[in-house]
Amino acid sequence: MGGRLNNSFWYSLFTILLAILFLTNLWYGSVVIPWDDVLNSLFRSEDQSTYGIIVKQYRLPQAITAMITGMALSVAGLLLQTLFRNPLAGPSVLGISSGASFGVAIALLAGGGLGVSLLGSGGIFTGLIVIFAALLGALIVLLLILYASNHIGNIVTVLIIGIMIGYAVSALVGVLQFFSRAEELHAYVLWGLGSFSKTSLSQSVFLLIIGVVGILSSLLIIKPLNAVLLGEQYAKSVGVNTKRLQTIVIMISGFLIAITTAFTGPIAFIGLAVPHLARNFFQTSNHRILLPAIILMGGALTLLCNLIAKMPGYDTSLPINAVTSFIGAPIVIWVIIKRGRVKK
Amino acid sequence: MMDNMKVKIESLSTGFLLKRGARKVLHQKLDSQLSAGELVCILGPNGAGKSTLLKTLLGFELPLEGKVFFNEQELKSISVKEMAQLVAVVLTDKIDDIYLTAHEIISIGRYPYGGFTGKLSVEDIAQIKRAESQVGISHLTENVFSKLSDGEKQKVMIARAIAQDTPFIFLDEPVAFIDAPSKIGIMQLLHQLVEDTGKGILMATHDLDSALNYADRIWLLGTNGEWDEGKPDELLNSGKINRFFDKENISFDIENKRFSWTGK
Repeated sequence: MGGRLNNSFWYSLFTILLAILFLTNLWYGSVVIPWDDVLNSLFRSEDQSTYGIIVKQYRLPQAITAMITGMALSVAGLLLQTLFRNPLAGPSVLGISSGASFGVAIALLAGGGLGVSLLGSGGIFTGLIVIFAALLGALIVLLLILYASNHIGNIVTVLIIGIMIGYAVSALVGVLQFFSRAEELHAYVLWGLGSFSKTSLSQSVFLLIIGVVGILSSLLIIKPLNAVLLGEQYAKSVGVNTKRLQTIVIMISGFLIAITTAFTGPIAFIGLAVPHLARNFFQTSNHRILLPAIILMGGALTLLCNLIAKMPGYDTSLPINAVTSFIGAPIVIWVIIKRGRVKK
Repeated sequence: MMDNMKVKIESLSTGFLLKRGARKVLHQKLDSQLSAGELVCILGPNGAGKSTLLKTLLGFELPLEGKVFFNEQELKSISVKEMAQLVAVVLTDKIDDIYLTAHEIISIGRYPYGGFTGKLSVEDIAQIKRAESQVGISHLTENVFSKLSDGEKQKVMIARAIAQDTPFIFLDEPVAFIDAPSKIGIMQLLHQLVEDTGKGILMATHDLDSALNYADRIWLLGTNGEWDEGKPDELLNSGKINRFFDKENISFDIENKRFSWTGK
């Protein structure tokens, strides 16, 4: 595998892979667009051909959203796995994606229950409301977790609170589902399956920019993250303010999860699997090597999943969560088994 | 600069706060000090409160009463960052990471120095190299830590503490779970470290052999709050070691320096 010999070689290779997968996502779909037209539509702003419109209005935003979501969730997963010192920690443990689901459930389902159907009020508007509802739900849970984290120093307690908030919120969503009408329920279920194709070009660029800001800020805590690998007390003994680090990690990862989930719905397994994949490939836990690797691999794997979801050879496409789970779950199982073997 | 460094304890009480304001007191009114250039052992049977005392001195646990001073500065007013340049530690906490190399772990000792990027400076690298050769592990620094033997792991952790370049090193049970030859190797190493660098070393241990043979002074802790201190020979000849360690039918034989069965 990768090994320590030449990390920059592997970084370059993964960057090229990422670029190829990105372009392939523009090229491939229900209509296969000739490469010339893909490039034309990218670099000529006045291109108004059908191909140009497909690429710019559908595939480009989808590819950007898939890439940045994969990167953001993978970084969040790594930070949380390090903070909680738990290989099964991932974006879902903070309950933030459940919070987003709850927000969307309120917007889609409760509205229906009150006789105000969001769905009737037109596409773009509904889309925006859903994004805001998800963001609001996610941020409320994030604030709750931060509050708990600041008042309860113990990290395992915070982990359990996060998971419990997730369960409690799911129960509320269940109640809302029970009382909602079929169309709204359908819309909610679809949202829960995740999708990279709900974003417009400007939304995807917006997501890209704030996603990159969040991801870059994680590079600032590489040093304390490495110290935390030795455990909380060793980290303290070399001068890490562990409580502050806990707050920063929850803020960065929570922010990344909240913004991506708002635009795409919950995306399973990417944030959990990619850190394991990178650790195993580069045979290291050193965040200075891992973080760049995880950013590249997270983007590439998610673009690959999106490509698979387009079901080459078939007329239909799969929900993205089905693909990420189908690929992510075996990766996690494989790594955990391998890890167990190493320990013995 | 290290010569005049001191850790001073003033009527310190260790223990825990329990529910509803109740307190579990382990030891009361401890007065003592640790100077640069000496190896002091906190010695006592299991459960006496050695680790609690050590962690109270580190600021990981709060004292129930009393004060701790590093030079003239009170522990309470020393930040985590400043503390990291005063004391390096070797703890009993298990490191469960399976990828970190010995070198990477030792490098974390340089955390208190340098900027946020964690890039090692020339000075950092020199300190790390020196620590590695001082401990005699230069040949295995590229090895994965989790695959080393317990003795080697402990040496890596000691090298990490040395690389942190502090006037004091505190160790919690550094020779528990280590075979006899490696144990002597590590005690010899700590002894040599005090001689060569003038650091002040404080180690908590239940291992009488190590403490009696290598400590300059011993702080003796008992399981019922008793406490004493002195040179190893004094404590041994005055029968205090026996008083703190002996159990029914088991006694420490001063001549042979080992425990023996005194019952039927």
